[in-house]
Parts: sequence; C-alpha cells; structure tokens
Amino acid sequence: MHARVTAILVARNGAKHLERTLEALTRQTRQPDVVITVDCGSSDTTAALLAAYGPTHFISADSDLSFGEAVAAAVRGTAPPESDGEMLWLLAQDSAPEPGALAALLGELEVAPSVAVAGPKVMDWHAGDYIHEFGQSMTHGGATVTMVESELDQGQHDGMSDVLAVSAGGMLVRHTVWELLDGFDPALPSVDDSLDFCVRVRMAGYRVSVVAPARIASAGDGVAGPSGSSRGRARRKRLRAVRAAQLHRRMVYSRRGMILVHWLGLVPLALMRSVGQLLQKEPGAILGEFSAAFGAAFSGIRVSNARRRFAATRTVGWGSISSLRVSSAEVRRRHALKREATLTGARGERPEIQFFSGGGAWTVIAAAVAGLAILGPLLGARTLTGGGLLPLSGTPAELWAGFGYGWRDIGLGFVGAADPFAAILAILGSLTFWSPSFALVLLYFLALPIAALGAWLATSRLSHHGSIRAVAAALWILSPTFLSALAAGRPAAILVHLLLPWLFFAGYGAARSWSASASAALLFAATVACVPSLAPALLVVWLVAVLASGRTVMRFIGIPLPALALAAPLIWDQGLRGNWIGLLADPGAPVPSAGVSIWQLLLGFPTGELGGWTPLLEMLGLPGVHASVLVPVLLVPLAILAVLSLFMPGSRGATFAFVTVLLGLGTAVASTHLFLSSVGSQSVSVWPGAGLSLAWLGLVGAVVFALRSMRRFSVAPAVSAVIALLIVTAPLVAALPLGTSVVREGTNRTQPAFVSAEARTDDRVGTLQITPQPDGGILATIVRGDGATLDDQSTLNSTDTTLSAKEKELATLAGNLASRSGLDAASGLSDFGIRFVLLRPAAVVPMGPGAEAPASAAALETTTRTTTALDGNAALIPVGDTAFGRLWRHEADGTPGSVGEIPWQAGGAIGLAALLVAAIVIGATVLLSIPTGAGPEAVRQANRDAIRQIAKAGARTKKADARELRRAGKGKKPVVPAAPAEPAASAEPAASAEPAAPAGPVASAGPVASAGPAAPAEPTTPAESTTRVEDADDAQ
Amino acid sequence: MPSRRGIALVGARALAGMVVVAVAVVAVGAAAVVPWPTLEHTPTSLLVSPVPTEQQRVCPGPLLNLAEDSSQAQDATSVGPTDAVFSAHPAASGTDWIRPSGTELSAPDNARSDVDGAPQLLRVPAQAGAVTAPLVAGSQSQTATGESLSGLAVAACAEATGDAWLVGGSTDVGQTTLVLLSNPGTVLATVDLTVYGEAGLVNAPGSTGILVQPNSQRIVSLAGLAPNLRSPVVHVTSQGGQVAASLQQSIVRGIAANGVDLLAPVAPAATSQIIAGVLVTTQGAAAADESGGHSEDMPTARIFVPGEDAATVQVGVASEDGRPVGSSLQVEIQPGVPTDVPLPGLAPGVYSLELTADQPIVAAAQVFSVGTAGKDFAWFGSSGSIADDFLVAVAPGPAPALHLVNTADEDASYTATPETGLPVTVSVPGGGSASLPLEASGVYLVSGGKSTVASVGYSDAGLLASFTVGQAGPLAMPLLVYPR
Repeated sequence: MHARVTAILVARNGAKHLERTLEALTRQTRQPDVVITVDCGSSDTTAALLAAYGPTHFISADSDLSFGEAVAAAVRGTAPPESDGEMLWLLAQDSAPEPGALAALLGELEVAPSVAVAGPKVMDWHAGDYIHEFGQSMTHGGATVTMVESELDQGQHDGMSDVLAVSAGGMLVRHTVWELLDGFDPALPSVDDSLDFCVRVRMAGYRVSVVAPARIASAGDGVAGPSGSSRGRARRKRLRAVRAAQLHRRMVYSRRGMILVHWLGLVPLALMRSVGQLLQKEPGAILGEFSAAFGAAFSGIRVSNARRRFAATRTVGWGSISSLRVSSAEVRRRHALKREATLTGARGERPEIQFFSGGGAWTVIAAAVAGLAILGPLLGARTLTGGGLLPLSGTPAELWAGFGYGWRDIGLGFVGAADPFAAILAILGSLTFWSPSFALVLLYFLALPIAALGAWLATSRLSHHGSIRAVAAALWILSPTFLSALAAGRPAAILVHLLLPWLFFAGYGAARSWSASASAALLFAATVACVPSLAPALLVVWLVAVLASGRTVMRFIGIPLPALALAAPLIWDQGLRGNWIGLLADPGAPVPSAGVSIWQLLLGFPTGELGGWTPLLEMLGLPGVHASVLVPVLLVPLAILAVLSLFMPGSRGATFAFVTVLLGLGTAVASTHLFLSSVGSQSVSVWPGAGLSLAWLGLVGAVVFALRSMRRFSVAPAVSAVIALLIVTAPLVAALPLGTSVVREGTNRTQPAFVSAEARTDDRVGTLQITPQPDGGILATIVRGDGATLDDQSTLNSTDTTLSAKEKELATLAGNLASRSGLDAASGLSDFGIRFVLLRPAAVVPMGPGAEAPASAAALETTTRTTTALDGNAALIPVGDTAFGRLWRHEADGTPGSVGEIPWQAGGAIGLAALLVAAIVIGATVLLSIPTGAGPEAVRQANRDAIRQIAKAGARTKKADARELRRAGKGKKPVVPAAPAEPAASAEPAASAEPAAPAGPVASAGPVASAGPAAPAEPTTPAESTTRVEDADDAQ
Repeated sequence: MPSRRGIALVGARALAGMVVVAVAVVAVGAAAVVPWPTLEHTPTSLLVSPVPTEQQRVCPGPLLNLAEDSSQAQDATSVGPTDAVFSAHPAASGTDWIRPSGTELSAPDNARSDVDGAPQLLRVPAQAGAVTAPLVAGSQSQTATGESLSGLAVAACAEATGDAWLVGGSTDVGQTTLVLLSNPGTVLATVDLTVYGEAGLVNAPGSTGILVQPNSQRIVSLAGLAPNLRSPVVHVTSQGGQVAASLQQSIVRGIAANGVDLLAPVAPAATSQIIAGVLVTTQGAAAADESGGHSEDMPTARIFVPGEDAATVQVGVASEDGRPVGSSLQVEIQPGVPTDVPLPGLAPGVYSLELTADQPIVAAAQVFSVGTAGKDFAWFGSSGSIADDFLVAVAPGPAPALHLVNTADEDASYTATPETGLPVTVSVPGGGSASLPLEASGVYLVSGGKSTVASVGYSDAGLLASFTVGQAGPLAMPLLVYPR
C-alpha cells in the first residue's frame, strides 16, 4: 500500500513568508503527490507566487474562510479516500518544512496504523534553533496547554511521541479520518481547531503523535492557528478567540446534565475573570471575555452541531485520554513558573529610584522637620479652622454617605450630585477614622514631606543625581503658591500641590506599564476632583500625550475616565442647569479672596502683597527697598535657569516644561476672572493657586533640565536659586507667627456649644445662621445638627443662581426675623425645624493675606438692627453671646427632629446608577493600578519577541554589537557621566548567559530582553528590561 | 570634535529655544495686557420687605428737674406738661390719614408724672392687607421758664432701638444731664450705658444692667454715673426689649437758667455724617471768637470715633443758600475720646454740616442762642438719609421750619402736604439744602425726595430747638437676604 500525500497549502496575504515555504516544499525529500493551494482572497502577490509554484489544484476562496474551512474546501475537490494510505498534509503560508519533514511524518503514520495524526516540531521562523511549539494538551479542567513553547531546542523533547494534540500547521492526517470526523469544527475558526480535532481523533479510537525529526518553521501569521502578532488589535482578538474556543469546547465536551450549569456560569465567570484580567494588566481582554461569554451563551446551534458530530464518532470514553492530559502537578508547576515571571515583571515596573542611597530619605526628613517648624504653633491641634478649613463629618460612614448623587445636606438641602472632592475627603477622613477632622491636621503636617517626596520621585524620572532631585524637592515645597495655600487654609489647593508630582511620576511611566497608566488615571481623577479648574490644562497635556503616544495610545486614552465617572453626576446636574462653567468652581467652602494683580500671579503669588513682603517691608521700614523690586530680582536666578534649559541638551523636555508653565499661568490668570460661586453678597473667584502649582511644576521641570545639562557646574546656580527662593518665601514660611495666616487651631465645632449639646440629642436640630453682609444685607442659612462640614459643601449650591420656593420662604422668614415685623415667626421657625438663631459677626471683605477690611458700616448697622429685632421677638429667648456670635433659642412645639430629616435614598435610580458606574470604573482602575507585574500573555509574548531579537542580533557580527553598545553608552552620558560602563557591563553577561539559559519561558525573559539593541538611555538592569519587553508587547 | 551634525543640532536647539521664549513672552504679555472679560456670578438674593407690624413711637415726656436735695439726687420731678402732635399716614399716598392711639407709659422715677403726664406711646396697628408699614410721626415740645430750667425743648417721638448713640450733654458744673430710657415694649429691657469722656471710656459703676420694665420710663442722671465730664458721649445698648433713649441737658449759669434741650440718638457710626438745619441766631458767637478767647457760646460739633483708630475728619459747613462758609475744617479725632470742635465764624443763618472721616464717627452740633427771652441752646444731631416719602409732625413752637438736605445727585422738588391746608413746595438742587416754613401743630407728608436728610428747627429770640426727622421705621426697611 503506497501512501499518497495531498499537501494543502492555505495562504492569505502571505507573500512575505510564502516564498520560503514554497521553496521548502520543493526541497522535500519526499515530495507530496498532490499539492492544492488555497488562496483566501489575497490582495498581494500571493496568488502569483502560488501559481508560479505550479500546484496540482489552485483554489481561489473568500478571504473570510478559516483555516479549517479552507482545508475543507480543498478536500472537497479531491476524490474520496480509498485507503488509509491517503494522507492530508495541512500547511499554511508560513509553514516552511525542513527537507525531511514530510518523510518523517509519513514514516510515523506508515509505521503505526493506529496513529491518525502526526504533528511536526514547530520551530521559530527567525530563530531556527528555538521551538515555537511542540504538542498540545489540556488540563483536567479543559484549558489548552502547549506542551513545549519558546524553548531552545537542544533535543530535550525529542523523546515525546504520543500527545493529546498537535497544532494545525504542518499536521499530517489520514484522509479517511478527516472525512470520518468531518474536519475541523467550524465553530473554532482559529484557536483550538486542531486541539478539538485531535481530541475527537483520540476519542474515535486513533492516536495522535508528534514527530520530533519533522521540523517546520512557523512565523505565526495567523492563518493556521492564532496570530502571533503582538499588536493590540490582533492580540485582543486572539485573547477573545482563546476564551471563546475554551468555552465552546467546554459546552461540547461536558455531560448533558452539566450544560445548564456551565451556561449559567458563563457571565458570572466572565465577571470574575475580568477582575483577574485587570490584575494581570490585560484590560484589553475584558471586552473579549464578555463577548466570548455571550457568544458561547447564544450559540445553541453551533454547540449542538458540534456535540452531535462528536457523539457520532466517539468510541471511547474520556478516561482513555486522561493520561495524556497535563497532570495537576504539572499545572501547578507551570503556574509557579508563571507567577515567578509576573513577579519579575512587577519588580521591573519599579524604576531605578535609589530612594535611600540617593538621599531621598534625607530630603523627606528635612522637609518634615521644616514642616514641623513652620507649623509649630499648630502642634497639638486636633482640628484646624480658618479659610476654607471646616471640620469633617464625625464618622467615615457619614463621609461616604455624602458621596455620589443624593441628598446634599447644605442649607435646606436638595437632591443633587456631590462634588468629586467629597470622595477625596471621604478617603482622607477614613484614614483617620477615629476622628476624620484630624485628617486635615495630618494633611498640614505631612504636606511638606509629601510634597518633597513627590517632587523627589518625579525628578527621579528626569535625573539620576540625588542632589538635583533634592534641589527640585526644595524648589517644590518652597513654591509661593503652596505656602500661600497653607496660609490661606485651602485644603484642595494643598492636595493638588501634593498630587501633581505624583501625577507626573505616574503619567511618565504610563507609556510603559498599565499599572502606571491606571495610577495616573486615579491621580488625574483626584487632582481634578480637588481643583476642577485645572481640568482644561491637564486635558491639554493629556491630549498631547495621546497624540504623541503612538502604539501605547490605549494606555493614555483612558486616563480621564475615572475623573469623568466621578464627575458624571455633577456634569449631568450642571448640564441640566446649563451652567457648564460652574463645573470649574472650587469645591469646598467658598472663601472670598482679595483680588490679585496679574503681575503678582506671574511671579507665582496667588494672594496679593507679594507673599507678604509689601507689609513686611513697610513694618521694617527699610529705606530704598521696594518689595516690587526685591521679589522679582530674587526670582531671577530661577527664571534664568528655566530659560537656559531651552538651549541645552534635553531642550525638548524643557519645551514641554515651558508649555506646562504657560498652561498653568493661563489657568491661574483665567481663574481670577472666573467668579463662579458666591457666599452672601461676595462673589468668589476660582483660587488661582492651583494653576500656579501646575506652572511651578513646569518651572521646576525646566530647572531640572537645565541643572542636568550643566553637570558639575550646576551646584552654584542651584544653591543660589534655592536660597533666593527661600528669601522670597520667608514671609509665607513665617505666616503663622507673622499673623498673615488665617489658619488656627480649631475647636471641632462651627456652632456654639449650646447648639452642639442640643445636637447630641437631636442631630437634625436646625440653627438659622444670620451673617450681616458688607452691603447691609444678610446671609441666612439653615445649619442642621452640629454645623457645617467640609464634606457637605457643594458647588451645585454655591453656583446656583435660582431660588426655590422653599428658599424664598426661608429668606422671607430670615428677613422678617432681622426686622421689626408682624410676621408670626414662631410658626415659620417650627416649619423649618429651627430651634436656634445665631447672629454671626458681620462678614468682612478680604484685603490680602491674613488681612481684612473692617466690617462695613452697613454691616454693623444690619447687625444692630438684627440684634434689636431678634431681642424683641417674643418667639425667641436670648441665650447670650458665644464664640460664634449671639444666640437665641426658640422653644418648638413639634417633636424634635421631625423637620429636616434626610430623605431615605434621595438619589433614587440615578444615584444608584451613578454609584455603580463610579464603583466599576474606579474599582477597575484600582485593580489595574495594583502593580502585580506583567500578565501571563505578556510574558509569553516577551519570550517570543526575545527569541526573535536573539535571532536578529545573532545575525550581526560581534563588532557591530560592540558599536551598538558604545553608542548606547554615549547616549546616556550626559545624564550620568560615570555610567557608560554600566550598560555594557549588565548587557554583556546577559547576552553571554543567553544560550546557556535554561529553556524555560521565565528564565529567558529577563536576560534575553536586556540584550535588546533598542535599549533606551536608562541603566539597563535585568529587572527593568522585563518591563520594557512588556511594553513592546502588550501595547494596546 | 564638533561634527557638522552637532553644530546643526545646537543651531536647531537655539532656534527652537528662541521660539519657545518668544511664545512665552507673547503669552505672558497677552495675559497681562489684554483686558480679559470677567465672568461674574451674581450672588442670589431676595429683597424681603418685612410684614408690617404695629408701629410704635415714644415721646420723651415732660422736662425733668432733679431734686435740690443732693441726698435724693436721683429723684426727678417734671416741670409741666408737654404739647404733642402726632399723626400717621399710609405709605401709599392719597389715602386717608390715620389717627394713632396715644397712651402713657408709667414713669416711676418722676414724682409728678400723675400731674404733668408721662412719655406718650403712639401706636398704629398694622393696616389690614398693607404690605408696607404706615408712616408715623409725632413730636413734643415744652417751653420751660423755671429757675433751673428755661428754654425750649422739642423732640421727636422715636422708635425704640437696641443700640443708640447719644452725642451731647455735659456733667460739668452747672450742667445737668439726664438719660431718659423708655421701654414701650412688652419685654423687659436690660440697658447698658457706656459713657465716654475726655479721658476715654468712663468706668461707671451702675451704668450696666439698668432694668427698664415694660411700658415704663427710667430716668438716669448722667452725673451720678460720670461726673465732671465736659463733653460726654453715651452709647445706649439694650438687650431683651428695646428702649427709646433721649438725653435732657440743662444749663444753669450762676443763678440763671441758660437753656434746656432734649436730644435724640444720632445716626449710627459711619464715615459720612450729615447734620441738617443747624440754626445760628446769635451774632455774638462770631464776635466772641474774634476777641480771641474761646467762647462758651460758640457753635461746636461734638465728634466721637467709636472704633480703634484715630480718624481724620473733614468738617464741611454749607449755608442753606449753597455757598460754603469759610474754610472747611480738618481735625484729627482720637478714638474713644469725644471731641468738641469749635465752628468759628458762622453768621446767623441756617447751615448744614457734612462730616467725612476715614473711620466711622458719630456727631452732633451744639448751638447757643441769646435773646430777649433769655438764653437757650439746642443740639443738632446727625441723621440718616430718608429714601422715600416721610411724615413730619410739628409740635407747637416758635417759627418751625423744615430743613432739607438733598443728598442725591439730581435735583429734587419737595412737596409738603399738610393734613389740612395747601401743600407747599420747595426745589432743592442735588447736594444742596433748603428750608420750608411749616405751620406749628401741623402734620405734613413730605414727598419728592430720593435721599434726604431732614430736621425741623424752632427759633425765637433766646429760644432754640430742633429735632431730626428719622427714617420711617429703620428696623422695618426692606432687607436683602442671601440664601447662600
């Protein structure tokens, strides 16, 4: 019986690899008897190449045929098999067999009649001595396992013969069996098609074996089997196909009774696996996960067809192949290896920071000491007050209840969206859960060290010099806008100054890792939540990053998503009002600030008086010294350094820093023109300090670029710039002792003790607070319970320009209470649940840092009038003067707390939906940001690419290699003069260790990559290189 | 070895750097120079007009004489009844006049109240359906001709307040000053008197916690609290109920009574004060000044700075025909110390005083008159401007005239419509002043003004008196309420 081999070659736009394949085919020692080529709608020269080869049959097919369908089409054109000696040899455009491949495969089938399928050893296309894959199997759970993958071939697997399955490209199959089993399952277009076929072959009573001497090179074009491309789209498609194939096989292979169980588990499993995908930094796989799950759930006919086909040919039980499955011990071993590989990836994500050896710790400790020194008068405080500092709600539960869309407990209360800032406060307050208000004290005392740490780390992205990092940290904490925010009691602005360096740190790394990208997204959300007015400038930076990111665009494009999810309810509410610009209003308590001239803004001072120099010099009475001259002169060194950076190496980065400066200044200038909210009669402008923080970030960046390029000449200018800045900010540093700071130790109350005591028994007790305004009007608000808290503040309230009927009613009541009036105040007070009336000291107009105009005559007159009216009101009993103003009591008839209750679930469906969306988006981002290292898929890809790079590198001569390394060394010389030897040193042993590396995917990952010729000008260490490999590959 | 590539790189970098610097300079310049528009969120507010309530006015009551016996210095006795005129008119013009009900407070400190009467309380109930309070005016006058009291004293019936500045009086030798506190309400009023003298705040035991029972008047002798003050200023604050405070000052020189006056609270502290209708009748005052010495009879302005900082006060004197008189004075007033500023060189006539300061001040002027009937003096207090129509009740007295200062920028034509009789009109240019002679015992509705400071003055030979016309119910003015 003479064997007859029909080779079927399927090609789709494969001219690149086809030539070698066809040539390899002609050089077979055992030529196939019939060659059928199938051209799946190629648009390149594939058809011509195939025709030139001169196949027995040439079939032109549609482009959307899968490999199995293309083969089936070719088989249909042949005569039905007459004997077991007729074979089909399945080849793809990128299956280049070595000369003896067919002979070896055929030999296996001829020797053993029970073997129905023989598979070759699939080698890497470029690196011929590496195994691409060799034999396939399943775990007991049904997951596909490639027996050998991406290993150096040293003959270590040549002993393998019987396997569960082989890959499709290059498999030799008996034609009779192919016919019997009806070929590949059409429901498995690319992944697991041959695995499923081989399983059915096995279950039909035949054997499948691999033939080590038969070697076929494969390029992973995706014609037979999945595409091996690392490009984002192909990769996502592959992940989806892998999952879809697994689910399909599960439905087909399972017992009838279990189908329903599997079916019901599809979506829950997809959910759980999505969490895993996020942790494994494969966010792109989630969509595929769900589409695969839904595809499997609604593919009844395909599953039943496959089950019928399977049942028709099945002759033996599952037990017969269980020995061929991968044992659970082996699965565990592979898992352990995988874990190790991902951990390497995790370590790799941490850049070379040298926090302790580089002096970072000392910088932070110095900043902490400085912080303690300048905030000394506040030591021992349990709460802070002044400016925008208010206590937080008493418990973390209350803090979190104020998050999202729901009841805004400010004034009369209304249903609306919380500011995203409430989430930040909730997180802060939860850190000090025993006393949430203490979080703000902690924020003050940790502000300087955290700012120093952030700046130090952010500079570590730009410079390796500990001294430059320390200078940057000093410049960052001495920023006039930061110190002004501390003195003016602006918690949001302080937070932004702390967050910006971290945002830069994470954003800088976003191109290289999903974890950094997700961290940047969270930091972006936090920054925009604190100061929405920074959003336009940050979005411009983001847009530039997106446009410049190229292949890694997916890592950038999602960065604003968490911010959007947090702000969505607010955007919805402000959109309904048509008050879009109101979105930029500062969250927290609206605090009017004195106007500041543009020139002072450009010098970096968000409040007037040049940071306090003007009054200080007046006080000292130094003749001939003008603050308006002194301060700009002292800032000159900084400006010169920044401008110099544009003309030195690294000027591209410096240009970007300058763009940031301009964006920040633009934001600051615009802020002073945006009076978006109001308190009483005073309009409140957006705090310009946040924009200045952004500008300062750019400025410090530019200075770092300049210092970096000046190398050893950088010491003098750096030190003089820092000292000059220290002098400039001296009045701000000493704001507390000088009395220009409005921040004081608080009492944790914003209401008189009498009211607080009452609030302890009735937490909804209402207090009408009346504050005379500079224009003679009054501000009348209801405060429930213990008093206003920072987390209850709402920009929806402070930017509102309309009055509800209830608000008009309250205003009328307040107006009558403050006048001699015939209104029956008692019923009005009871209607609103007001038990107390507090006449606060008259509001004053701010004049500068810590300075206020005296209360206006009109305000004093109103105070007198109101006092008189309240005193004479029979419905009110005077309590007396308190620290917060004069207090009156109203004896209510109604049951306490019956008015002003917070409605249950005020947010309704919108609230739930908003909460769900925010939870999902933020939760997913948090999962993604946890640095768990590279995912298994990324590690696999890294191995493949590493092998390919080896192959390419191997092609070069050693001399060329040496030149490459020298150049790499030179490229980084400006940064670290002593470094040239370093990359060579680390790369050399890695490269030399390479051939001897144990042929495991894990072990090869690091060293292989470090030899990569495209090493950027960063110190190359094994740990870091893994990251880079991952970057190159899981770009999506 | 600088390669060509290196030179090109440096050149490109320099060029790019220049471009960036230029862009930065242009952007910064644009930010600084271009007047960018400002987006201003107008604070939301509601103008609340208080629900009209019963209007109350209290007249100070008859002039009082302290007991001769120093052991009973606190016992006061009245020296005769007062003549009072009062009426009310709905704020909307054209409707009928309203007759307020008049009752008397109890005056336990006055031993002769059963004979001479007590302070009158005028009440106008809230009109059904009215959204604004009616205008109410009342005034009382009394001419004393006794040994210790002589002269004309006229006072407006005032609203009770919780905070009042009494600028005037003296506890120097021969001078008697009484503080009259009337509580027309139903709530006990606890009154604190803060007295300032030449040495600043006077520590006066008994000046705080003065209880004024509802519906009664207390009389406090200022000498008992703070003796020997030439120029005191009394700050009256009350808690609980409110009081209508007034001050009675009488002068005895030698054995002759040299005048008496009742003075009402002045306008609250502000950086600008206007005193309307200062009547100078005696040429002698000017003559005395020319002789060089300080004449006790010279018109003076008493200025007080309640704040912490010294005030620089510009005193502008304008005669009624609009010409400024002499050079306007500029004085530095120490805080907490009432200061009498002489106003030399005033010819007989009607003047208005405008005091402008860099700190809030309170002020009043004192003018002496010598005539055939004897000697008298009067206090002219500053008063707030009236934004709308107002009512003037003219108590009987010699030659009453309404003095108007139009503090608005545009001219105003005032029409005074009496209860019975023909209206009289006068046109006052913006910033100018004018007088309108009135019928004694008449009640006038004065309309046409937008911002007016007004007073009513009486003068005869040796008789001088005045009272200011206040804002109708300042406690019931519409109020701007900001709900957030």
